[in-house]
Amino acid sequence: MRSSAPVLLLAGLSLSGIAHADGWELSLDGRAVSSNADPSYTQGGVSGVRFDQDQSGLRLGRARFALTESLSELWSVHLDASAWGDHDRIPVGLTEAYLQFRPYPFAGYRLRVKAGAFYPPISLENRDSGWESPYSLSYSAIDSWLAIEVRTVGVEAQLDWLGTRQGHGFDLGMTVGAFGWNEGAGGFIAGDGFTLTDRQTPLGGRVGLPDDPVLMNFEPFRQLDGRTGLYGGLEARWLDRLVVRALRYDNRADPTALDYASFAIAWETSFTAVGARYEGANGVTAIVQALQGDTTIAPGGFWLDWPFKAQYALIAKTFGRHTLSARYDRFEVDTGVNNGGDGAEIGHALTAAYVFTPDEHWRFTLEWLHVTSNSYERQDAFNLSPLASETQVQLAVRYAFGSAVRR
Amino acid sequence: MRPPARPSRVTGVLRAVVGLPALLGLLAAQLAHAATLVITVQGADGKALQGAVVTAQPLDGAPHRPAPVKAVMDQVNRAFLPDLLIIPVGSTVVFPNSDSVSHQIYSFSPAKRFQLPLYRGTPYPPVHFDQAGVVTLGCNIHDEMVGYLVVTDAPYFGRTDAKGVWTSEVARGRYRIAIWHPRMRENQADLERELAVVEADHAELTLRLVKTLQPPPLADRPHSWDY
Repeated sequence: MRSSAPVLLLAGLSLSGIAHADGWELSLDGRAVSSNADPSYTQGGVSGVRFDQDQSGLRLGRARFALTESLSELWSVHLDASAWGDHDRIPVGLTEAYLQFRPYPFAGYRLRVKAGAFYPPISLENRDSGWESPYSLSYSAIDSWLAIEVRTVGVEAQLDWLGTRQGHGFDLGMTVGAFGWNEGAGGFIAGDGFTLTDRQTPLGGRVGLPDDPVLMNFEPFRQLDGRTGLYGGLEARWLDRLVVRALRYDNRADPTALDYASFAIAWETSFTAVGARYEGANGVTAIVQALQGDTTIAPGGFWLDWPFKAQYALIAKTFGRHTLSARYDRFEVDTGVNNGGDGAEIGHALTAAYVFTPDEHWRFTLEWLHVTSNSYERQDAFNLSPLASETQVQLAVRYAFGSAVRR
Repeated sequence: MRPPARPSRVTGVLRAVVGLPALLGLLAAQLAHAATLVITVQGADGKALQGAVVTAQPLDGAPHRPAPVKAVMDQVNRAFLPDLLIIPVGSTVVFPNSDSVSHQIYSFSPAKRFQLPLYRGTPYPPVHFDQAGVVTLGCNIHDEMVGYLVVTDAPYFGRTDAKGVWTSEVARGRYRIAIWHPRMRENQADLERELAVVEADHAELTLRLVKTLQPPPLADRPHSWDY
């Protein structure tokens, strides 16, 4: 019953809103999968990819409904609901839901304020609607982690200086966010390490299965101690060609906080993310991104921490309606002095994808993903070899329609 | 004011033979005194620069202002159409929205600050532009939309063709020639030149930019600026 509430709310909103909505989109993404991987976290395992060998065959990639509606001259609302076809307690959940305040630019400056649940401005590859990547199916290790357990549930203000509207070649931006309900962020990194997926945990969703010895079906979007998390970021753009971003994030959780009823722990997680994206006139896009941080828990006198870092470089070339891309990911979770090796992981991944978008409705993607990782948890908790070399090949067909759909 | 008409042999004959009223005489006299300006604009690489805005402002006599016009700048496929308009000071422009999505047009350029609240179709009266200068237009919803209005008090203006050339029939005299391009990086004042057409029937000027242009906007890119 609990799970049907957002669906009903959404259905009601969509019925009343679709007729005159500013933008709505309904899409269905089906996959033909071939994988030799061990079970991933959605199946109770620690694999580095989304689909395991038992899931080879036809799968639901994502079913999505999104709506953007103007509430008044300067206010709008955005709702993004998805189903992923796996064992979440929320079969259809909201990955983002927020109000946006968009006053007019004044004297060269522009303010944007968001309130609700949304992604902090970190990703440089996930720029399509629904926080998807136009370059591949699977997100980078960094963005996969954000998809699984990082979301701003709070308020964000972004102030831009619009130089390109004043005869200059560049714009500058500054972002500040204040949030709660993200004290689970870090639990996945410490438990499973990094993975490359395109599954986004919906608000209120859980990660891992109840019998998962590592993740124990925890809730990433949860508040235990009443503390407010903060982030601040800077961005510079040169025309529409180059974007450079840096962001410092700290959920400021109390690592000693523990909910005895559910055994939920507050993960004190902070990180710095930097990245740059360049787009050339010849259809070439290059992205580099790095993330480095630390997550800590200290329940009942323990003090455990996991420093982590990940980087990727992506190169893509678009020929008309065809895009070829290649991405190299590296990731590492270290283990603090008290952990005794628990949670340590090191790995790298190579992704190659071909995306064909014949029109605004159809998208065909063929992706090859190979992840090699060495994980303490794989041996300790699952009795598998710590070293895994996994390959997942997906052919995706996505059909989208609605007033917001466009090339 | 243009130089006063002086009766010529041509107009005399015309008047004698056809007996047309003074209007035609004036026209002929002006033709006799008209000259052609040929302005060529090149990029820093020496190649023809198409689409550069050229204005010719007379330096002699009383100011001669062009008549205001009623112009239209449409919005189609999330782009301004045309993306650049040159209009005389005092002109009005209508900004219809032919898209199925709403737009929210703004300018904070010194020459004209205005905004058109969220709309589709053509709900607003024309906007009046009473000050010379470049007005940069944006949409508060779609950041990739950029349009330009060049509001000028010069009587002669236009844009260079594929060969980088703009020509205009003008009255004889001295002119200040100014050029502008949305992607140029020079100060507009650095590119002003004086050009006189007194004796000859035409005058030519080639202006070459010193700095390379900013690259053009990307034609095909993922559509969200929000992420």
